[in-house]
Amino acid sequence: MNPNSSLCMPNEHRLSRRRLLGTAAGAVGAFGLGGLLQPAVANELSKKDKQVLFIWIDGGMSQFESWDPKPNTLFGGPFRAIPTSVPGVHISELMPQTAKQMHHMAIVRSLCTQDNSHSAGVARIQRGDPKNRGVTYPYFGSAVSNLLGPGSSNLPSYVWIKPGSGGFIHEDAGFLGPKYGALAFGDGKPPENLMRPESISESEDEARHQLRGIVNAHYANRRRPVVSEANKYVFDTARTLMHRRELFDETAFSERDRERYGTHEFGRHMLIGRKMLEAGVRFVKVNSYGWDTHGDNFNGHLSLMPKFDQAYSAVIEDLAASGMLDHVLVIAMSEFGRTPRINGHIGRDHWPESWSLAMAGCGVKKGVVVGKTNDKGTFVDSDPLDIGHMFHTWFRALGIDPNETQFSNAGQPLPIAHDDLHACEEVLA
Amino acid sequence: MTIKNMNSRIAIPIVTACLVFWVGFSSLSVFGQESLHARIDRLILERTGGEVSHKSSDAEFLRRVSLDFVSHIPSAKDARSFIEDETPNKRQFLIDRLLADDRYAIRMADVFNVSLIERRSKHEEWINYLRSSFSSNKPWDDMVREIVAPDSDNEANRGAAFFYTARLERYGQNPPDVPGLVRDVGRMFLGVDVACAQCHDHLFINDYKQVDYQGLYAFVGNTVLRQDVKFPAITENPLLTKVAFKSVFEGVEKMTGPRLPGGPEIEIPEQNQGEEFLIPPDKKIRAPGVLKFSPIRALSESLTRSDKPEFSKNIANRLWWIMMGRGLVEPLDMHHSGNPASHPELLDLLAREIVEHKFDIKWMLRELALSDTYQRSSIQPTDIAEPPLAASYRTALERPLLSEQWITILREVTGEATTDPKTLTEWQARFDKIFANPPKEPELNVAPTVKAALFLSNDRVVLSWFDRKDGNLVDRLCKLDNTEAIVDEAYLSILTRLPTVVERTDMEHFLDKFKGPREKSIGQMAWALAASTEFFVNH
Repeated sequence: MNPNSSLCMPNEHRLSRRRLLGTAAGAVGAFGLGGLLQPAVANELSKKDKQVLFIWIDGGMSQFESWDPKPNTLFGGPFRAIPTSVPGVHISELMPQTAKQMHHMAIVRSLCTQDNSHSAGVARIQRGDPKNRGVTYPYFGSAVSNLLGPGSSNLPSYVWIKPGSGGFIHEDAGFLGPKYGALAFGDGKPPENLMRPESISESEDEARHQLRGIVNAHYANRRRPVVSEANKYVFDTARTLMHRRELFDETAFSERDRERYGTHEFGRHMLIGRKMLEAGVRFVKVNSYGWDTHGDNFNGHLSLMPKFDQAYSAVIEDLAASGMLDHVLVIAMSEFGRTPRINGHIGRDHWPESWSLAMAGCGVKKGVVVGKTNDKGTFVDSDPLDIGHMFHTWFRALGIDPNETQFSNAGQPLPIAHDDLHACEEVLA
Repeated sequence: MTIKNMNSRIAIPIVTACLVFWVGFSSLSVFGQESLHARIDRLILERTGGEVSHKSSDAEFLRRVSLDFVSHIPSAKDARSFIEDETPNKRQFLIDRLLADDRYAIRMADVFNVSLIERRSKHEEWINYLRSSFSSNKPWDDMVREIVAPDSDNEANRGAAFFYTARLERYGQNPPDVPGLVRDVGRMFLGVDVACAQCHDHLFINDYKQVDYQGLYAFVGNTVLRQDVKFPAITENPLLTKVAFKSVFEGVEKMTGPRLPGGPEIEIPEQNQGEEFLIPPDKKIRAPGVLKFSPIRALSESLTRSDKPEFSKNIANRLWWIMMGRGLVEPLDMHHSGNPASHPELLDLLAREIVEHKFDIKWMLRELALSDTYQRSSIQPTDIAEPPLAASYRTALERPLLSEQWITILREVTGEATTDPKTLTEWQARFDKIFANPPKEPELNVAPTVKAALFLSNDRVVLSWFDRKDGNLVDRLCKLDNTEAIVDEAYLSILTRLPTVVERTDMEHFLDKFKGPREKSIGQMAWALAASTEFFVNH
């Protein structure tokens, strides 16, 4: 039947919100990137094996106590600035290890974003704050998962290592549909039911799944491919995860690695994150909670920053040493920065007006600082960069031209990044 | 009557012969007018745009309709006797038997519970209300009146208030979900989703105006959760003035009284403050009082007025969706002029007919089940280049199973016999976690997940159902004397069909090659059938 006939509603092409895999038609837009089964273009890109490590510092890291110190100024706080491996670039003394890795990375000090509440900010930043089009945009992880596909590892393309519980976080995917959601490993632990019962040997397990395949092949014959393909995909992914149980085996890490990354939660999760990247996962998000230091900001950062410094510097060092940093984009950021003004509880509040993030790898210029804030750190004193600029920049680093590439929302083409903004050329090599 | 009595029923030749005579003319009603199911098929065939699938096999039909009406998989014995039965119109007898089965009410309660509450929470009184309503085949308009204007004093029906209380309850720090309540009244009873018109006219659906949202809000915005009783109950604060609202784009203040989308505004009677109550609330005995003007009573009357086509179209479309796996209007809650039905005349017909039949749900479901459209195979026609479009209904669509069905049928086919209610509740919670959507997510399509794949592959409890125990499926299979019989029985018991020659050979090969106890190999074969795509869907 002619697909343009009156019976063909746009919904025909819409994926179930929870479906992990639908037809190729479901997610493939005008540009042709998208479906996990979408062969040509996605494969072409996946050859490059670009990956992302997205380090999310939830609650708002203080730029004063990290990437943009202002010692001896009105709002500077008690900590000093220290030199880094890049002459002339100084960061907070709370990051001595990171300072040694500065020559691998770039700092953006001129972020100026829109939202100063967590509830709106977390989603807004991770969705790239596109123009309001009445649809829910995907988080960066879902976007990359959609645009670049899962790669050759057969592992889920968007993995989230987070404190607390895990699960399938389909909400992240927005209009792209749930197959682009995050597979979250709570505390880095594997999903439920990953372990084969002892009563079934490996060969028996193989045999029973083969038998299941025979039944499925009969059923799939001359039936709509959608359901059979989706079911095959989820079982295959489940089997891949079962075979890759070692990804969750923390005892396999060397003593030295464990010490370098830290035995605290964030260090352990970062180390698992590195392993996921090594295994070929396209997008790994590692999460640290508890940065909302409205009270006692300085003691708070004094306790939080060393853990971040330790794990972050270790992963940058390792990725650089193994050469992976050439194709892994590393981003470390929060939903906003913290106020210059120090409040009555010796805390800093939410400040989207001028703050910083760090990025590295995958064609990001090494050892550069982009933008600056004024002397007191109260406002941006160069071209302000919104999160939309950053999305343009990151997509470019990943080899995706945001001006040429579009999402498809049930046939409606939508820009992948805010269409009035552009990449920050200064930081792209 | 349960399915167990099926054989005896079929075996009564005289009854059958009489029925055959009657059934022979059943596509014509008493006055010679064409039956609804025949008209459905005609309207569908007019716009198929290609070859249609052949009629479902008896086995496929038996499985489908049993799942649809009683959430049940026929036993191998019943399947065999249905397949071998040569009574003409045996399908119609089956439909009637299933619709008369006690489990019909349980099944429909599950379907409507999931649709109306979307797994926000659970309440026994609500489920009991739904079950008794479907058990007595209560007309839909009566049900809606009881749900929309619940009566706390009527013990039999008061559970209906759960539609409100599930949305007005606080979860953690979340406030009562009044916007969700307003939205869902529109979605569930009129098929319109005005959520995006809360703060301004809908951006790209011209029919959905901000006043539509605000008018619905005027009806239900004053409802309050009653804390003084254990059962689901609400009370209303008086509505004295119209609702004032502003579009975030225009900033001009507007007003509306209670008003259904696109309908006339209902006038709020003039009342002085302090005189709103017929019976004032009594704090001492915690009686909520009776209002002179109750917006939710006004809502229940306006919604169910017979000249309200949106109301009848909505339920007709939802019943169609239940049986066919796709709404004539899709999404189900997006009825508007820019999104016409795939078969507009058919939707009009169904809506008219359900009004004429006094919103008789069982009658409508029966007509749908009798149609060729419902009874088509899910196997596509031969020699086609592309799968037929879902909206063409050329091929039956695969439909998801509810988590409530999952636990029932998996226990049923494996012969898992536990009756301990505590264990069953625990297991249901476990199955919900795996197979049910998160709260507020409609369950509309077949949605395999990695979570479910891991669960079916490795969950200890589920796997234990495939171990040999006295009288269970594997035990029964082990007692059969040859491999062919074992394979056939397993297929019939689990997939309601016999294996193909190739499948039989493959299974026999598996059983012969297996190194280990016979009962284990049989258990694993049974597992492979139950973990297959074919078992996963209603096809």
